[in-house]
Amino acid sequence: MSYEPSKVIRETIQTAGNALDGYFSIKVAGDTFGLPVTQVQTIFRIGSVTPAPGGPSDIVGLVNLRGKIVTAVSLRRRLGLEPEAGGPGSLAIGIEHHKEAFALLVDEVGDVLTLTADNAIAPPPHIGRRRAKFASGYNRVGGQILPLLNVDAVFDFSEEKS
Amino acid sequence: MDEMLMEFLAESAEQIEAASAQIVEFERNPEDAALISSIFRLVHTIKGTCGFLGLERLQRLTHHAESLIGCLREGATATPDVVSAILTAVDQVKVLLGDLEEAGHEPEGDDIELIALLERQVAVCQGAESAPAEAAVESAPEVVAAAEEPAVEAHEPEPVVAEAADEPAASAETTLEEKLSNPQTQESLDALVASLRAAKLDVRREAAKSTQGKPSEPAASAAPAAAKPAAPADAHPPAHKAESGEGRAKGADTIRINLNTLERIMNLVSELVLTRNQLIELTRHKEDETLKSPLQRLSTMTTDLQDAVMRARMQPVERVFSNLPRMIRDLAHDLGKKINLVTEGADTELDRQLIDLIRDPLTHLVRNCADHGIEMPEDRVRVGKPAAGTVRVSAAHEAGQITIEIADDGRGLDITKIKGKAIQSGLATPQQLERMNDEEIYRFIFAAGFSTAEKVTNVSGRGVGMDVVRENIQTIGGSVALSSTPGKGAKFSLKIPLTLAIAPALIVEASGQRFALPQHSVVEAVGLNGGEHKIELVQGSKILQLREAVLPIGSLAELLHLAPPANRVEEAEQLAVIMRVGAHAFGITVDAVVDVQEIVVKPMGGSLSHLSSFSGHTILGDGSVVLILDPNGVCQSLGLEQSREGAASNVEGGALRGGDRTRLVYFRAGSGVDKVLPLSNIARIETVHSDKIEMSNGMMLMQHQGRLMPIVAAAPEVMVKEGDNTVFVISPDGESFGLLIDAIVDIIEEKLDVEIAGDQPGIVGAAEINGKVVELLDIGHFVDIVRPQEERPKDRKSRLLLVDDAAFFRDMLAATLQAHGFEVVKCGSGGQALSTIAQGGAFDAALIDVELPDLVGFELAEKLREGGAQFPMIAIAPYATREILRGATAAGMAGAVGKFQRTQMLDLIRACVEQPGDGNQDDAFFAGAAA
Repeated sequence: MSYEPSKVIRETIQTAGNALDGYFSIKVAGDTFGLPVTQVQTIFRIGSVTPAPGGPSDIVGLVNLRGKIVTAVSLRRRLGLEPEAGGPGSLAIGIEHHKEAFALLVDEVGDVLTLTADNAIAPPPHIGRRRAKFASGYNRVGGQILPLLNVDAVFDFSEEKS
Repeated sequence: MDEMLMEFLAESAEQIEAASAQIVEFERNPEDAALISSIFRLVHTIKGTCGFLGLERLQRLTHHAESLIGCLREGATATPDVVSAILTAVDQVKVLLGDLEEAGHEPEGDDIELIALLERQVAVCQGAESAPAEAAVESAPEVVAAAEEPAVEAHEPEPVVAEAADEPAASAETTLEEKLSNPQTQESLDALVASLRAAKLDVRREAAKSTQGKPSEPAASAAPAAAKPAAPADAHPPAHKAESGEGRAKGADTIRINLNTLERIMNLVSELVLTRNQLIELTRHKEDETLKSPLQRLSTMTTDLQDAVMRARMQPVERVFSNLPRMIRDLAHDLGKKINLVTEGADTELDRQLIDLIRDPLTHLVRNCADHGIEMPEDRVRVGKPAAGTVRVSAAHEAGQITIEIADDGRGLDITKIKGKAIQSGLATPQQLERMNDEEIYRFIFAAGFSTAEKVTNVSGRGVGMDVVRENIQTIGGSVALSSTPGKGAKFSLKIPLTLAIAPALIVEASGQRFALPQHSVVEAVGLNGGEHKIELVQGSKILQLREAVLPIGSLAELLHLAPPANRVEEAEQLAVIMRVGAHAFGITVDAVVDVQEIVVKPMGGSLSHLSSFSGHTILGDGSVVLILDPNGVCQSLGLEQSREGAASNVEGGALRGGDRTRLVYFRAGSGVDKVLPLSNIARIETVHSDKIEMSNGMMLMQHQGRLMPIVAAAPEVMVKEGDNTVFVISPDGESFGLLIDAIVDIIEEKLDVEIAGDQPGIVGAAEINGKVVELLDIGHFVDIVRPQEERPKDRKSRLLLVDDAAFFRDMLAATLQAHGFEVVKCGSGGQALSTIAQGGAFDAALIDVELPDLVGFELAEKLREGGAQFPMIAIAPYATREILRGATAAGMAGAVGKFQRTQMLDLIRACVEQPGDGNQDDAFFAGAAA
């Protein structure tokens, strides 16, 4: 019971991941975000989506990921951008967050970028509050500003549950 | 946390649970020396381990508790004070263990007050003992001897242990007391226990290490260490050895599994089941034999595996029952009542998840019985009851469900008070109450905030409770029923599914989306397009008139705000699914019922768990995800939570009133009107291909379960059709025959009144159901065809008197009885029966319906006996409940049996007939008591 090697290893990786490198660049509409590689379990194309009536509007529905039911969330809707079609074949990133399995619908998954503490910059002050909460930090990569996706905020629906 | 500590915690939790139950038991049976020895052992073991693990606070506490228990073991009287002190100590140990588990170390503080209390009690015990010291010495050997017996018995296969245990027992008798009270001996005992434990644990650890190629030296050295202190074991309580032996025996065939591991296995198996279903779906249309047979094997194995894992999750309800004795004891103490607790069926197994979920409701109901049901001893004696009341908790496995009954022999529910309270709280008007029957009124106690307790005790009656009980039970797909007899007591029956993980469900479709609807709350599905049932708008709300009931109804698509599918051409055929949630009956309209499937229920993820309309989700055989509707939530979204309780009675009343309504199979056979048969008369419904039906000697035959089964046509015109045929398998007494019909129309639950007696053979008579005339088939007639008179046993041509006002039962039972060689005289009323006897009718036995319109069956039995009837009488009822059994015994009847329990009925009659003239025998036959 007390002996759980996997847990220890997992934690080590996570800390390491946060400290430096390993970010997927993901794209929705015109925006690009960095997403820690360690948070990503899988990248897949979704099958049919079962809508969840009454649920938060950013939740597209439930999809079957190899026998496991995952909650599909539209990053576009989450950011207040024009929603995608979200039908079968949409690209999704499998992320587990607080023991719940999610599929984050995105337009594109790009290269893995390596970031170091030197890249970090202060948040630009004029970003709208609705958008700003979804970024956990900002980095300058190759002359461009890359916001890092705040996974906690993306999958926190406590405000939407009224 | 330390592995050893974990193990200790798990073990101790069980031991402490067992100990507190046993202490209560001991208070009741102070003579039971084996019991106190066992309690002593339990506490002693915990103490020993605490010492070894360096848990000083626990060790001190258990040491003092042990001393007190030791006094009891030596013959001190178990006064309530002593028992309370021990129980308090046990509670404290429990608290400490809990803290230990959470924090990983012992909580700060000491238990000075408690220890002082324990010491005082020890002093009292010893003081009381010193006077009759000689008596104590005399009784001591007895105690030891008694304690010894079970130990020896339990260890027959291990004579060495038994002998070793025996020997010290002989020499210990005289010295045991003083040695135990001698602190030095005490310490050496502790050391012994500790070292024994150490040895055991070391060996275990070494065994683990040795797989890595290390020599197990320490293990070898640990063994003599253990043996050394064992040598002067003459002072050692022999029982202790027995305990370690026991531990070994048990260890051989059980292991402890971490719950998470089990959960994970369960989940994996669920996934496997889903994958299997998907594979089957995929290959359904492919004629690939190479794939089919391994898939078949995979399928069976998956089912078996699923079954095995489900079994592993099962635990006896004893886990819930075990804390009841303690609770009842404390309650009785607090309330100044005398209460006996009887538990039955503690070994009935239930999914562990459910065990935890029923704990609170069950505890609440038991508490309620003790608090409200059982009267004060004086009051009980005044009304001629024994001073001690009885609360009976029984569990039984019945048809894929667990039934738990909580009954008391107290005053029963006070209907006047309930009525008053119902009016007061605005739940019903006096006029409405007028029209309600007792059961409907009793059901008010399940309304929120309903308590009739005059004074609010700290036990129950805080106004929260029964509604929560019902809600909790319903959440897990169960139901609560309630019956009460004024002055005799009340009974709650909980029906609980065996497991939550897998449930049968209807897959319904609304606005192009599919949903799963758990079957346990579905009453029926009704087509709305036939014109017979229509949805009407009353003051802006939709209602459905279904037979006499007026049900609220809503469209599932509207309730869930589903957008209509884009390609909707016209109004699709609508179905109303009628559901029942507690007292509420309601309907929802859907576009179609697509399928009925066993679904693996998975809880919703956190981001959607707030949706009250859904209880979870699942993956269907085709791989698609569907949401599982929560009947409670749907009921609420219809705005029903505050509506009147009575609404449901029209739908479910039949089942509660028992016998009024019958489940009928409605079918076509031949040219005449449609026919009906009670579903209970039909063992199975089979679809048989015409090839499988053969003619032999003018009789149709088919293979059924490896035997040839005769088939008769339900009507002369019914012929075997080319292709599939529908056959009802009827087994009046285990010997089956088939009844060939044309087609099943429906299965309905209806009140059946045969109005016009039939003149045709094979027809009991005609009845009206939903405005249509149907004919009730006479099973007896077909039994006659299949089994001609000569084949029947002739040795017992006994004459039976059958009294039942329902023509249906009269004819059905008469046919069965005649088929078994009895001669039956039927009477439709008590009066008729009395006049039959008065005219000198001689019978070997009588079957009497307990509910006759002119006379209660029990009274009839007494009247018949006054009229000179000497033969044994048997009470019959739709279900032979315990009340009926009691009534029957009270009336001097030979027994009671359910009308549908043919085998038991025949056994009972034969037993009665074979012992003629012995109607008042003491050991009445009670068949079907469990019904």
